[in-house]
Amino acid sequence: MTIIKKLALVVVSLSLVAVSSVSSAKPFSPKKPVELIIPAGQGGGADEIARLVQGVIEKNDYASKPVIPINKKGGSGGEAMTYVKKKAGDEHTLMITLNNVLTTPTNQPELGIDFFNDFTPLARLITDTFLVWIATEGKNTAGIDTFDDFISLAKGNGLVMGGTGSMSEDELLLGMMRGQFGFDAKYVPYSGGGAVAKGLVGGESDFTLNNPSEQMGFYQSGDSKALVMMTPERNPAFPEVPSSYELGYPDLEYYMMRAFMAPAGIDAEVEKYYTGLLHTVYHDNEFQTFNIDDGKLMSWLEGYGLKDFLAIEYDKHAVIIENFQ
Amino acid sequence: METFGLLLDGVFTSLQWFNLALLIFGCLIGLFVGAMPGLGSVNGVAILIPITFIVPPTAAIIFLAAVYYGAMYGGAISSVMLGIPGASTAVATVFDGRPLAVKGEAMTALTAAAVGSFVGGTVSVILFTLFAPPLAEVALRFNAPETFALMVMAFATFVGLGGDDIPKTIFSILIGLALSTIGLDLITGKPRLIFFNIPGFLHGINFLVLAIGIYGIGEMLWTLEETKGKVQMSKLSVNMKEVGRAFGALKKTLMAMNIGSFLGFFVGILPAAGATPASLMSYGITKQLSKNSKEFGTGVPAGVVAPECANNSASTGSMLPMLTLGIPGSPTTAILLGGMILWGLTPGPLLFTQEPEFVWGLIGSLYIANFFTLVLNIALIPAFLMVLRIPFAILAPVIFVLCVTGGYAPTQSLHDVWLMLLFGFGGYVLRKLDYPVAPAVLSIVLGPLAENALRQSLILSDGSMGIFFDFASKPIAAIIMYIAIVLLIMPAFGPLYRKIFKKTLSKA
Repeated sequence: MTIIKKLALVVVSLSLVAVSSVSSAKPFSPKKPVELIIPAGQGGGADEIARLVQGVIEKNDYASKPVIPINKKGGSGGEAMTYVKKKAGDEHTLMITLNNVLTTPTNQPELGIDFFNDFTPLARLITDTFLVWIATEGKNTAGIDTFDDFISLAKGNGLVMGGTGSMSEDELLLGMMRGQFGFDAKYVPYSGGGAVAKGLVGGESDFTLNNPSEQMGFYQSGDSKALVMMTPERNPAFPEVPSSYELGYPDLEYYMMRAFMAPAGIDAEVEKYYTGLLHTVYHDNEFQTFNIDDGKLMSWLEGYGLKDFLAIEYDKHAVIIENFQ
Repeated sequence: METFGLLLDGVFTSLQWFNLALLIFGCLIGLFVGAMPGLGSVNGVAILIPITFIVPPTAAIIFLAAVYYGAMYGGAISSVMLGIPGASTAVATVFDGRPLAVKGEAMTALTAAAVGSFVGGTVSVILFTLFAPPLAEVALRFNAPETFALMVMAFATFVGLGGDDIPKTIFSILIGLALSTIGLDLITGKPRLIFFNIPGFLHGINFLVLAIGIYGIGEMLWTLEETKGKVQMSKLSVNMKEVGRAFGALKKTLMAMNIGSFLGFFVGILPAAGATPASLMSYGITKQLSKNSKEFGTGVPAGVVAPECANNSASTGSMLPMLTLGIPGSPTTAILLGGMILWGLTPGPLLFTQEPEFVWGLIGSLYIANFFTLVLNIALIPAFLMVLRIPFAILAPVIFVLCVTGGYAPTQSLHDVWLMLLFGFGGYVLRKLDYPVAPAVLSIVLGPLAENALRQSLILSDGSMGIFFDFASKPIAAIIMYIAIVLLIMPAFGPLYRKIFKKTLSKA
């Protein structure tokens, strides 16, 4: 073979490669590790779900590149949201949400976050529930067995509530209950759901509005009990706890959403890919079992349904904040 | 002695070949992440969590606990050899470990660190085995007022830390406290001191950024100025005589071992404190109570033993609230806790009875991990000492790179790297002006804990400081508070008081 022939062969094969890569424009898949931003600290509820998602993806090889959780806990989600906002158009960044993404843009206008235009909502996987918890042998709440008894006790006495930080979900919830039932409580902020649960059983606070997983250990040991779950129906993880609808308080309904978002300005292909990946995770057996046992609600939502949901929730939170201040 | 039998089972569980292999592998990874500045046990454990989905929970926790333990040992290595704290838990080890290495006694420092770690780890495992249930009760009753009293005690011991110049020490503490208030205010939920609206300030000032800046960059500038780049490290020979001398130096550190082990364990079981405050407090208290407290900071083995003993003891201690109360005693146990939940275990009061194999497998593995890391460490000391033979012209850029990656790794933001360089320069200036820097480092760790505890207490008491002095309803808080006040005024009464105190102590 002469050199010219060799060269010609190279040219031909090169052009073939080029043609094939143009004609079969493959669907998107990540080209480098995907950052999963967690707007909360390590060991909390959002962190737990993010690491579960990472584990499920890794174990089953659902994605071609690994997912790397990164905690950016500063400023009630402000740090994480500012970071993701700056990543507009980036195809390798995701963020898991707490409800603080619904409140922080309103609470901290100086961050300049536009909730509806700075992010691409992908899917909601889970909603976490809230319950009213008391210690079984609480010094002020001994003998209280029903939510109504609790309300009459709380009205007369200034009870102490342990919570996860000012302007966090549970303090807003206390604000809602204050308006609804006419009692007030002293709010003591702790550094996380676990510390809140410990403060309750340790006798420092009288009640908490914790998520199930944070109180589960003390619930199973009988050290604390739940009076009401703020949902329309009873939850199989807590069969003896009445729902707020049953007790005749349908306004007492509140959830923590665990959704995933990408930065603004990504292609539809990319959006489709990540939504599909999350859908696979959602239907994974291990993922389902873990969350159902934990008292969480499996509540897949995507596309326009999700956008409507977020808009409603955002406005609802703006009202709660306004009433609160 | 039922628990003893269970512990024995646990030890045998971790001696099964698969678990043992994971354990030794974990110890080695731990040593590495501990020794790398910026990569501490928190990052190590967080990165490795997904790997543990493929092995049974007991094997997984044995592996991660070994990483945690190994990191406690590893942190000391770069603290001593390079003067950069390898992990937040090893910051106090720099105070005396680095001067020892500079004096040519790196061998002594590394031996003290390894043996101290072993003693602390062993004592704490025994304490855990014997007293886990009652101690869980103590941790449960240790609430905001008690935590604040303990923090006051820690600060009181540190007034004496900066030498005799008390006003300069207090100034340094206040700088640390001011820096620790940057970031989110937990009580109001609003960000504070976000300078120029730079988002990097929203997560506050990471303690490691300050420590690496001051000790890594600051130390490097200092050495460059002192020696004009011509650093001559003393020749080191590793022979049996040296080894014997290193072990001999440990005889005088018995008090440091006691304080480190017991105080470390106690601080470890308190929720949210962990090994970093434990090591700093043990250093401070050992110094205060030592006969030759003036020599601390110039390179005494007791100054290495106290924090190293305490950080291992505290890391075992912090397993206690994690397992029995479901609350992490340290950032690393926060991740372990997340892992446990994902493996399908519910931490809480019932875990000991429902999953005895898991709990005692973990405790047993700590014991074995402790032994193996000691052996690995002592065996590797000659290798670590090679670092000292590297000329400073080569070592300095390496230290700089390690500092930069160490500043970047925990939060993965470049903002923190700039801050670290700034602190390095600031720390250098403070040292030029003869200000002690250790109290500032302590304050930035303990500041947020103290502030939150204080404000939680004052909310509970409707603003009355009486809550800290009420023997009737909060006896633990009141006792600690009065001890703290005594410790605080002790240096003020000067040498006279110290003399009397020493006499009674040496008699005891």
